[in-house]
Amino acid sequence: MIQLAVYGKGGIGKSTTASNLAAAMSEKGLRVMQIGCDPKADSTASLRGGQMPTVLGLIRKYKDDFKLEDMVRIGFGGVVCVEAGGPVPGLGCAGRGIIAALKKLRQKGAYEKYRPDVVLYDVLGDVVCGGFSMPMHRGYADRVFIVTSGENMSIHAAANIAMAVENFRGRGYASLGGLILNRRNVKNEEEKVRELAGDFHTAIAGTLDWSETVQDAEALGKTVVEAFPESAMAGRYRGLAERVLLLCGEGKPC
Amino acid sequence: MLKKLGRSGGRGGPEVRIRDARFPEPFASGLEYNAPARGPWNIVHTGMLIPGAHQIFACAQGCLRGVVLTAAEMNAMDRMSWISVSESDLFDGSMERNIIDGAADILDRIDPLPPAVLLFISCIHLFAGCDFEMILGELRGRFPRVDFADCYMNPTMRKSGLTPDQLMRRQLYSLLRPRKKDEKCVNLIGNDRPTDESSELLAMIREAGFGLRDITLCGTYEDYQKMAGSAVNLTCLPAAAAAGEELERRLGQKHLYLPLSYSRQEIAENYAKLARVLGVEAPDFSGAAARAEEALGAARRVVGDAPVAIDYTATPRPLGLARLLLEHGFAVRKVYADVFSGEERADFDWLKQNAPELAVSATVRPEMRFAARVAPGEKVLAIGQKAAYFCGTGRFVNIVAGGGMYGFDGIARLAGLMADAYLREKDTRTVIQYKGLGCESCL
Repeated sequence: MIQLAVYGKGGIGKSTTASNLAAAMSEKGLRVMQIGCDPKADSTASLRGGQMPTVLGLIRKYKDDFKLEDMVRIGFGGVVCVEAGGPVPGLGCAGRGIIAALKKLRQKGAYEKYRPDVVLYDVLGDVVCGGFSMPMHRGYADRVFIVTSGENMSIHAAANIAMAVENFRGRGYASLGGLILNRRNVKNEEEKVRELAGDFHTAIAGTLDWSETVQDAEALGKTVVEAFPESAMAGRYRGLAERVLLLCGEGKPC
Repeated sequence: MLKKLGRSGGRGGPEVRIRDARFPEPFASGLEYNAPARGPWNIVHTGMLIPGAHQIFACAQGCLRGVVLTAAEMNAMDRMSWISVSESDLFDGSMERNIIDGAADILDRIDPLPPAVLLFISCIHLFAGCDFEMILGELRGRFPRVDFADCYMNPTMRKSGLTPDQLMRRQLYSLLRPRKKDEKCVNLIGNDRPTDESSELLAMIREAGFGLRDITLCGTYEDYQKMAGSAVNLTCLPAAAAAGEELERRLGQKHLYLPLSYSRQEIAENYAKLARVLGVEAPDFSGAAARAEEALGAARRVVGDAPVAIDYTATPRPLGLARLLLEHGFAVRKVYADVFSGEERADFDWLKQNAPELAVSATVRPEMRFAARVAPGEKVLAIGQKAAYFCGTGRFVNIVAGGGMYGFDGIARLAGLMADAYLREKDTRTVIQYKGLGCESCL
């Protein structure tokens, strides 16, 4: 089983990237599980459509009196979709929410039941506390991929995330798999991201051009891979999925 | 906002007739009161059962008070250390490092090193996502001759997942290392005190040629480790079952749960199960059952129609015990319990049908701080410290968690204790203030 986490600044396109990777991997016949670790609970929306309960919402409502199946929805290509959810906005601790949700998934036997070949953790924003580093811990993601553009704030967030991965070196946590450049067409974009990759001894795992196709698919509530399978952008996502799998050892533990 | 405490019945109040009670939680939860009956064991008492083990608590100083006082009262301060946690640990990301360095510093000062350390983390570590495995891994690397167990003092999470009692009893055996199995040896696990030698349970085991190991009988750490070599783990208390399940999974020791019971049929079924595992014929227990009946009859003659109250700290089956006593003519008036175990369902239904006026009283509802004591002159017999405290009686059976009694012999012995308690009053205030019934006390 390959487990990978997608981090990056809020709004940079993590969920779009993760969902399209999940869709592209499922096309290859892989069993994929995507776990949204964001209180907004919209990580998997383009894979499954409609509403779905969050793990924290279920815990709040039923304590432990609910089933594994209540926590998941099966989306495009059979992708198993999970949303960790979060606390009441403005109150509570989102980091603790991620910890509780991931532990609950494990306790309910999600990994044994669905036996995914690939697990994607789509993690909110920056690694601001212990809860947001949970998907990096031993037993969860083996590789971290950081989505970034060349915008300064995005580069800054990516550096912080890479720093957290580096700080955890020696603990047997996830290692840095690479950066995913999601272009915003700013000046010297590739150069800046390449420099960041060099600073952390990693590489750009893939580049995604800005594309209206992505917006069009989003408007349909679908991934590009599902909505426009013949498009160039779908091809880019498929290519990125191949590259990510390669970096993760193609089915072997990373 | 502060509210004046009412005295209404039902889920909103502290007492309800069993005919109106809900199962398994008869009372609404909320602000809790803790009666000054200190006999039931806490995590410190339980942890001290591992011979030679040292306990290290990492938590805020305010939370340390209870555990330190427990260790002090049981004259075991040399077996406990602590690392205090403060707000600044959260700011600088040093929480995990402080536990590692603190524990290492403590161990560097202990000569000789203890064979085992029970390292307790607290709620804040779990909130913050501390990596306990990493902490333990580093300590194991630095102190390879010490066994480290992960333990938890996390009262904010006591109602989600395993209870603190279940968790502690499970972790107590987590240090057992795999070793060659002795097919002729069984463990009795999860108890705080040895089971009575007179019980049919122990007689069956011994007569079948099996050795018996029990942490309460271990004199050395090696004795404790030998428990890993037993082929079977027996558990009798509901709080111990998780330990048995975990050892079956981890060490391949067969787990046999033989719940403490006051039902003749269930006791017989338990012994039949045990006989199958031991590979022997189930003995004829009609003599033991008859002796239990005789003892109950004798106790009834002594106690007469005096009201009887039972609390959940005395036995995990207070409803089962109430049923047994009612069936034998005792005037059981009240059961003190905040929640019932699932195993009590059949007895709950029986009592609803056959003793609908039986009162069920909470122990932790805040109104219990002001609970009315029994009218002066009424001779109440209580079974358990909390029942004694709430009933204001000196006539009480001083046991916790079943008191080591089991089977028909256990019923006979309990009946004997009831008669004795009724005839010889105790100084309740003095007796119930000792922490951890059966443990050493400096008081």
